[in-house]
Amino acid sequence: MVDVTKNLKVYTTYGPKSAKAIQPNVAAKMMSKAKRPLLVVGAPVLDNGLLERAIKIAKTGIPVAATGHSMTGFVGKDVDASYINIHSLGTFIGDPNWKGLDGDGQYDLIIVLAHKKYYINQVLSGIKNFTSLRTLSIDRHYLQNASMSFGNLTPEVHLEALDELIENL
Amino acid sequence: MSGMTKEDRIYMSDLNTGVFSIDELENVQITIGSIVGAIEQQMEEEKDVGPNSKPGIAGLRNWDFKLFDRYEPVYTPMCDQCCYCTFGPCDLSNNKKGACGINMEGHNAREFMLRVITGAAAHAGHGRHLLHHLIGIYGKDHALNVGPSNIIAPNTQTVTGIIPETLGDMEGVLDYVEEQLTQLLATVHAGQEGAAIDYESKAMHGGMIDHVGMEVSDIIQISCLDFPKADPEAPLADIGMGCIDSTKPVLLVIGHNVAAITNIIDYMEEHDLADKIELAGLCCTAIDMTRYKMEGGGTPKAKIVGSLAKELKMIRSGAPDVIVVDEQCIRGDVLEEAQKLMMPVIATNDKLMYGLPDRSDDSVDTILEDLTSGREPGAVIFDFDKVGELAPRLAQEMSVIRKEKGIKALPTEEEFKELTSRCVHCLACELACPMNLPISDAMTAAEGGNIEPFEILHDKCIACGRCEQACPKDIEVVNVIEKAAQKIIREEKGKMRAGRGQISDPEIREEGVNLVMGTTPGIVAMVGCSNYPDGTKDLYRIADEMLRRNFIVVMSGCSAMDLGMYKDEYGETLYEKYPAKFLKGNLINVGSCVSNSHITATTIKVAAIFAQRDITGNYDEIADYVLNRVGAVGVAWGAYSQKASSIGTGCNRLGIPVILGPHGSKYRRALIAKPYDTDKWNAYDARNGQTIDLPPAPEFLLITAETVEEMMPMLAKNCIRPSDNNMGRMIKLTHYIELSQKYLGVMPDDWHVFVRGETDLPLAKRVELLKILEAEHGWEIDWKRKKIISGPSKQDISAQPTNIKRLCKEA
Ligand code: SF4
Ligand code: SF4
Ligand code: SF4
Repeated sequence: MVDVTKNLKVYTTYGPKSAKAIQPNVAAKMMSKAKRPLLVVGAPVLDNGLLERAIKIAKTGIPVAATGHSMTGFVGKDVDASYINIHSLGTFIGDPNWKGLDGDGQYDLIIVLAHKKYYINQVLSGIKNFTSLRTLSIDRHYLQNASMSFGNLTPEVHLEALDELIENL
Repeated sequence: MSGMTKEDRIYMSDLNTGVFSIDELENVQITIGSIVGAIEQQMEEEKDVGPNSKPGIAGLRNWDFKLFDRYEPVYTPMCDQCCYCTFGPCDLSNNKKGACGINMEGHNAREFMLRVITGAAAHAGHGRHLLHHLIGIYGKDHALNVGPSNIIAPNTQTVTGIIPETLGDMEGVLDYVEEQLTQLLATVHAGQEGAAIDYESKAMHGGMIDHVGMEVSDIIQISCLDFPKADPEAPLADIGMGCIDSTKPVLLVIGHNVAAITNIIDYMEEHDLADKIELAGLCCTAIDMTRYKMEGGGTPKAKIVGSLAKELKMIRSGAPDVIVVDEQCIRGDVLEEAQKLMMPVIATNDKLMYGLPDRSDDSVDTILEDLTSGREPGAVIFDFDKVGELAPRLAQEMSVIRKEKGIKALPTEEEFKELTSRCVHCLACELACPMNLPISDAMTAAEGGNIEPFEILHDKCIACGRCEQACPKDIEVVNVIEKAAQKIIREEKGKMRAGRGQISDPEIREEGVNLVMGTTPGIVAMVGCSNYPDGTKDLYRIADEMLRRNFIVVMSGCSAMDLGMYKDEYGETLYEKYPAKFLKGNLINVGSCVSNSHITATTIKVAAIFAQRDITGNYDEIADYVLNRVGAVGVAWGAYSQKASSIGTGCNRLGIPVILGPHGSKYRRALIAKPYDTDKWNAYDARNGQTIDLPPAPEFLLITAETVEEMMPMLAKNCIRPSDNNMGRMIKLTHYIELSQKYLGVMPDDWHVFVRGETDLPLAKRVELLKILEAEHGWEIDWKRKKIISGPSKQDISAQPTNIKRLCKEA
């Protein structure tokens, strides 16, 4: 079992409210229990071994919001993925009138993976401050504006953590 | 007079015209609140001032609120707290209220507005400085001349109602700008504004004002300094660190205000030094140096190093012998960095003086002696004649002195090895790096002799130096990167077309119709700074793609420079490859930061010249026109500055949407519409006041995109406007669909909402798309005639869409 909660260093703080550190198996449990989870995947998913893991997670039945141009990685992979701009997603996601990417309504857990750290932290800041949604980061960086997050990880440990998470789904 | 009744009083406001006499003076009170009547009368005499000249900070609130109704402010706070007054710090997380009663939204709207007015003040301050300077030389009566145009100052005319003709006329324009900025700044005080939405409206006001301030700044320098005047043939300038010849004395200029620098150029010409000294510039001063005396063509009188991201790298290279700074976007540690390498710094503007002594009253020889001897690290000099003489002489002398002293900048091969092996891979630098660059791995590779990872980092690194601040081993990471990238840096040689200034009236006359009908698929205006998410090449990729697709690509500022750094397989930059007229498939550089006003001005001119709208003091009508009819999108891919936020916000109020790179999320707020909220996508038909449906575009006024690949289809889609004719809509839809397929790998899921009839469909794909409309969207198709029978939302092509009721014939 990898411990992904050791390094919670931040370069600058956003203030009093920061993400709780979470281990892969606990994250997996939360994801499994969620009724309407949404996996939000950014363009860096295309860079290294992340895509196959994202697809594995999606195949457990979690729909994917493919932001940036990450959509290219999901085409033909038989997963429920749709492109959306992440700034728009962060806006719509808190609107009770938004019907979701599939028309089936609101989400109850937002999981983020493979993003530019500074960018996703801003999006999460909006969600944190203006919605009651729970957000979970399974990214390589400690994302303080999520509700729960892995710590700062090396790319290798990150892949290990994702594998462990997938096993527990 | 206490016994007077109200009826006895005469109010000036009651008196319109005519003669009145006061017989029993002791029984009459005359109340003169202001001399509004007199001013109004004078203005009427002057010219037609329009319904809304010189609006105050609430003057266009109704228009803003219309925009915000569809384009909702979206906040992504940079901080959960407010520490603005001594009641605080207050925890505002979850939109809580602080001790003063303001909530997170309100505080963030205030913060955003503060960014906007700071940017606007920087431009206006620059403009006022330049105006004093130029009036001092050329006099108030010096005529404005921007090229073959009757509408000299479109932003100024639309906002203030003033139609300026001389330098002196610009004083009144700046008076207005400065008053508005003061009023706006006053509202930042604690306890001034309770509703976020009103701070938003004020931010819009600041943005609009900024375009007036910028316009003044650029028009006056174009008129006085022989800049190209709406010239499509403006010359090409050299750009890139690789084109700087450091065997000559190097005089480096940094900033945005060319006032003092023109004296340097003149002195060098008069003393036959142009070939003997390498005059190079960073940021917009560099752009404006290459415009100086280029009316009618020639060879630009300076070379461009590049944007802000090159500043520290250029200094650390050790090449400059003297640095001259003016204002804006200049690192706070230029003096400190320069001192280490024996480069004297001359500050020429009171906005930035580094604690240096003011030597304006001393003789050039004394200052020269103090700087060459190293007694002083630099000097403040406000006398530009002295700067003009001192800087070139100093560069020549310092060049010799620095060579004699053996001043060495970048690490040697051995030092490089030592630096990379000193790294303990603690990752502190990567955490500190705003780009999260993989520095540690690059150190490992370099230690093993492979410098390629560092070469790749070089273009992505903005040379901010945060890594060095964080490193526990005191490794000068920037130097390591720069040393490793020497080969690449030597090859950084490109061309940039010198800023041409405005788009002329005749050009608008020719192209306006294509823009409004959509047969020119749109204007993509790339503006702003160099805080790119993935290096400078992104800009090239965007422009290259959109130019191939016949969009008009307009550049300015740092973006204009960085675009010139790349060449195609034939060794040509895009500036060399594409013509620079205001026509589809052309590439235009309007100029420096303050030239951004010409981009908004272009859309105003379309309303004025193509649609014959009266623009004078008529901002909301013109903005309404632009929003509904001019397919233009701004891109500030590397926006970092406050100025970028004011430029973008000024575009927004005028109805021009803007896309920022991912760092733009740190401006804290965006303006994003909800395409699924169908109630928001309608307008009036000006012909009869009836409500009509609109296509959901533009879907935002301000948003960020994650990658250039994502942005490409966004650009095409958000150039769609209700006024597109069938041919225009077809062209735009073709680009939208193709770009989505090319860069996202899929058909967009919303293309059908833009289809009003079968003739809107891309010709080559018509049957295929009709099938999709039938199968997936339930539209009825007459297959014999290949016509759509029912399905599309009611968008009437011949309607005259407006969001302003008063513009309708019969309400
Ligand atoms: S301005 Fe208001 S929210 Fe900010 S510190 Fe003062 S009291 Fe608190
Ligand atoms: S100087 Fe370059 S590598 Fe260092 S922190 Fe800044 S961007 Fe990152
Ligand atoms: S902070 Fe310094 S020692 Fe640590 S990884 Fe970065 S360069 Fe190496």
